[in-house]
Amino acid sequence: MHVQKTEAVMAEARITASPWSRLTAAPAWAGLSLLVWAVLPYTREGRRFLPLDYAYHAVAMGPGAHWLLAVAALAVLLLYLAGPALGLAPRRRGDLAFVTAGLGALIPAAGLLYAGVPFGWGAMLGILGMVVAAGAALSDGGRVRGDAFVGASILLMLLFVTLFITVPLVMVMRSAVWIDGTFTLVQFARTFASPLFLFVDNPYTEVAEGARVGMLGGIGAVLGLASGVRVSRRRTGLRRAGAVLLWLLGGAIAGWALGIMIWGRGALPSTLLVALIVAPSATMLGFVLALLGQRTQSRAVRGVLGVASVLPFITPPFVIGFSMIFLFGRRGLVTFDILGIPPAMNPIYGIVGVSFAQILGLAPVAYLIIRGSLNSLNPALEEAATTLGSSRWRVFRDITWPLVRPGIAASLLLASIESISDFGTPLVLGGDRNFLATEVFLALTGRYSQPEAAVYGVVLLSLVGLIFIGSRIMLGVKGFTTVTGKPASGAFLRLPKGLEAGLTALALVWFGLIAALYLAIFYGSFVRIWGINNTLTVQHYIDFWQQGWPTVWTTVKLSFYSAVPAMMIGGLIAYLVTRHRFYGRGYLEFGSLLSFATPGTVMGLAYILAFNDGALLMTGTSAIIVLALVFRNMPVAIRASISGLSQIDRSLEEASATLKAGSGITMVKVLAPLLIYPLLAGLIFAFVSAMTAVSQVIFLVGAGNNLATVLLLSWVEQGRLGRAAAMASVLILGLLALILLLLVVSRRVDARNRKKGKPA
Amino acid sequence: MFGFSRKATVLAGAMVLGLAAPVSAQDKGQVNVVCVLAEWCDAMRAPFEAATGYRMEFLNLRSNEALVRIRAESSNPTFDAYFAGTGDPHFVAAREGLTEYHDSPLKSELLPDLVSAVDGAYLPIYANPIAFAVNPQVLEQAGAPMPASWRDLANPAYKGLMGMADPNSSGTAYVVIATLVQLFGEEEAFDLLAAMHQNMASYTRSGSGALGPVGQGELGIGVIFMSSIVREIQNGFPIEIVLPEEGTGYEISGVSLVKNGPNPEGGRAFIDYVLSKEAQDLGEPTGNPQPKANMNATLPEGAPEMSKVNIIDYDFVTYGDPDLQSRLIGRWTSEIFPVPR
Repeated sequence: MHVQKTEAVMAEARITASPWSRLTAAPAWAGLSLLVWAVLPYTREGRRFLPLDYAYHAVAMGPGAHWLLAVAALAVLLLYLAGPALGLAPRRRGDLAFVTAGLGALIPAAGLLYAGVPFGWGAMLGILGMVVAAGAALSDGGRVRGDAFVGASILLMLLFVTLFITVPLVMVMRSAVWIDGTFTLVQFARTFASPLFLFVDNPYTEVAEGARVGMLGGIGAVLGLASGVRVSRRRTGLRRAGAVLLWLLGGAIAGWALGIMIWGRGALPSTLLVALIVAPSATMLGFVLALLGQRTQSRAVRGVLGVASVLPFITPPFVIGFSMIFLFGRRGLVTFDILGIPPAMNPIYGIVGVSFAQILGLAPVAYLIIRGSLNSLNPALEEAATTLGSSRWRVFRDITWPLVRPGIAASLLLASIESISDFGTPLVLGGDRNFLATEVFLALTGRYSQPEAAVYGVVLLSLVGLIFIGSRIMLGVKGFTTVTGKPASGAFLRLPKGLEAGLTALALVWFGLIAALYLAIFYGSFVRIWGINNTLTVQHYIDFWQQGWPTVWTTVKLSFYSAVPAMMIGGLIAYLVTRHRFYGRGYLEFGSLLSFATPGTVMGLAYILAFNDGALLMTGTSAIIVLALVFRNMPVAIRASISGLSQIDRSLEEASATLKAGSGITMVKVLAPLLIYPLLAGLIFAFVSAMTAVSQVIFLVGAGNNLATVLLLSWVEQGRLGRAAAMASVLILGLLALILLLLVVSRRVDARNRKKGKPA
Repeated sequence: MFGFSRKATVLAGAMVLGLAAPVSAQDKGQVNVVCVLAEWCDAMRAPFEAATGYRMEFLNLRSNEALVRIRAESSNPTFDAYFAGTGDPHFVAAREGLTEYHDSPLKSELLPDLVSAVDGAYLPIYANPIAFAVNPQVLEQAGAPMPASWRDLANPAYKGLMGMADPNSSGTAYVVIATLVQLFGEEEAFDLLAAMHQNMASYTRSGSGALGPVGQGELGIGVIFMSSIVREIQNGFPIEIVLPEEGTGYEISGVSLVKNGPNPEGGRAFIDYVLSKEAQDLGEPTGNPQPKANMNATLPEGAPEMSKVNIIDYDFVTYGDPDLQSRLIGRWTSEIFPVPR
């Protein structure tokens, strides 16, 4: 309160000083809006993105809501410039300006949406300017703790998250129930009844699947009853009966669901079954590797783990799938040529192959998460326990395990969501099985049905939501733990010799497998036809250079365009949610979580639905791809910045504020230099994820802006595996080089900082 | 003086521009094409641009995706022409009013049979029969005979050796079903499909999805459009083509003019160019060895003359009907697909 009062007093003092000094942020931005409105065309026609066509200038368009923008901007200018003459208290004036500017943004925007006319430069910049002015006025009115920069940033970020995350997802839900202009659940009924979605009682099999599912449900109920009775021993009467009933129900549902996953067919049970296999397996593998990585003395093992944990991030999603076909396919090098498994007996296409590929891809992610929580453990605890005579097992059970549990839970959560959202692997290895994430794509592109795709999208979203809620209730996960952690000093207990040897062997086998898969890609890019004609050739690279390089270059450019705003918006949101309290803070966090957890195909569908016509028409332009990537990858930047910010003491910012720097200046001059490494890491990861993204952009690519991964997928489908392998090799090596560069730079920066005695 | 420091303002401006910067440039002289056969389009670009003065951009999509894209954009199309791919989506697009018929002056150069078969919905560019891609080595190892007819595909000797597309995701598989229904009547066709189902290793997502596995020796027989098989043989894979002796169905791939496209004149110019002998002869070098619609076009090496292939009298109008199509696919999905094997 005190700070604001002085600010207000200072603002008043400035206003009385000279007329020019009355031009604070709010009126300045309102003025800019007015200028933009006057100079630039307000709307556009068709898909040409933001042309300068003056036939659509606001004046030429005649009367309409767009004039309100100018009127509101003038009103805000007047409110401030007329200054003391109006006799308004500064805070009153701030409130008044906020309402005026807010209406000046909202009404013209609503007018555009209602008329369905695509926005032009004038409308876009004009409305954004009014939003900034409203935000600045918000802080003038003392409604936000912070200066104009903070107020404006809050409003802008709320607007962006709404426009590019919430609205598109709402459009998916709307499209599922709003068909041909009426509200209907027909599409839900039709999809749920389709054997592609769920199919339990198959009349063509000897087995009565329905009965078996029922039986498993019964078994679950009995088990639930038994454990309910056991667990609720300490309760009495009604409370005990309630608890037992809950256990019974839970057991029945769990048994029934498991039965459907085992005997049912269709996208829903297949997806759930794979997630149920993959999440625990990947987490388990990640956990033992993390334990090994933390406690082994061998530098080689650590190095191997470090390299292997980066690979999944730089690999386009389905590449592992198609290299698995090379090695473990029906005619694969290992399965057929070495082990001699008859092609018809090879289970690679289906649950087995998809699960295997996903475990390989997700184990490193689990490793990084669990490694982070292992690293935040204080070794002194273990030392103390050992000194007091605890056995190794007891130390693990009573100390290490409880402290790692949040990491394990986070890893389970992330792995199950990633498995459910995975689009590339089932596409390549799914075989006869349907999967939800691919069904979104196939419904739209194979069966031409937008409502059906939307229904699958809603199902996927609900599943992800349920997993979140479930993990919150059962495991107490409050979100994703950060991957980074501060290493504590001291020495951890070493693993027992036998265990260490076993784990090392496991890690080496795992790494050998990964290495073989990547080598297969490189090798495949240099032979004429894999397995048929093994003459070495560079023809695939020549083909790639001629037909793929322009697309890769476009992808690099678009990814870079997306990474910069992703980092800036991510950094800004991180700053706002960690350093300020305001209405909508929870919404910002939720929005970024939503964009992170939403399966990519659903996001892609959402963008097609939201930006295909009307005022927000943007499909067919590169801008829509960039926007999709910005908001998809922004959460990574947010996480990186939040963990960086939490290590910076607020007194630095307070000092800066005392020296009369605004929060904008403080952010740029004080925080950004200290955050340079997290920001850089956020930038590079946003870039890398943009380069390897496929599911969220596959619907959005257009003439002249095809993306590398989409082209790669179509090559794989056309059977041009050599060329695809060449492109995959170039992408993987290029991105690997980039990551290594980041590591080297960060080491340098760390070393330099240490020399200067600054905190890293 | 703005309350914001100049740097903050620049930062905000950069952010806004960062969102707006990647602007797609299109001017009046550009023709946008949805193109199912990317390499052919790539080869046509330069000569088309030189001959007509338009600039050409194309997007490579699969047949069905192309239709979905054009449909999604119908209120505001970005494309002018829709080139190649299976015939059905062209039919559907014409029926839904997404495309309009362009009465090209080059129509007189096209094979009259093909033009009349697609009945004014679009213009034919080539015909492509359904065939079996057979890997003789695989069959030999399995002790199975070479197939010669559709009915041969019911032979249990092929168990686990056959591949075909899933009609729920591919137009090719629907052409197979429609062909069998026209050849044998619906009931007998579904009996045969059920027997074929027993031999399938798996159903693929894209129409030619079984071709790669056949070439790699994962499968022995794939039911696929012939042109892709010819191309794969030219690429050096050990595959042979078998045309079923009962006769086979085919598709007539074509080119359509998108209704209300941004550059309709350019779209028409593109279609006229595509139908010319010059453009049609670019098909083969880019891996599209089908017999072309233009009578003057050179017959690609290895491609059969349409007169020598036993072609059924495929009823495009009846079997292109979406209701019949979804009924047949629905029947397949509920009666054949779930049967265990």
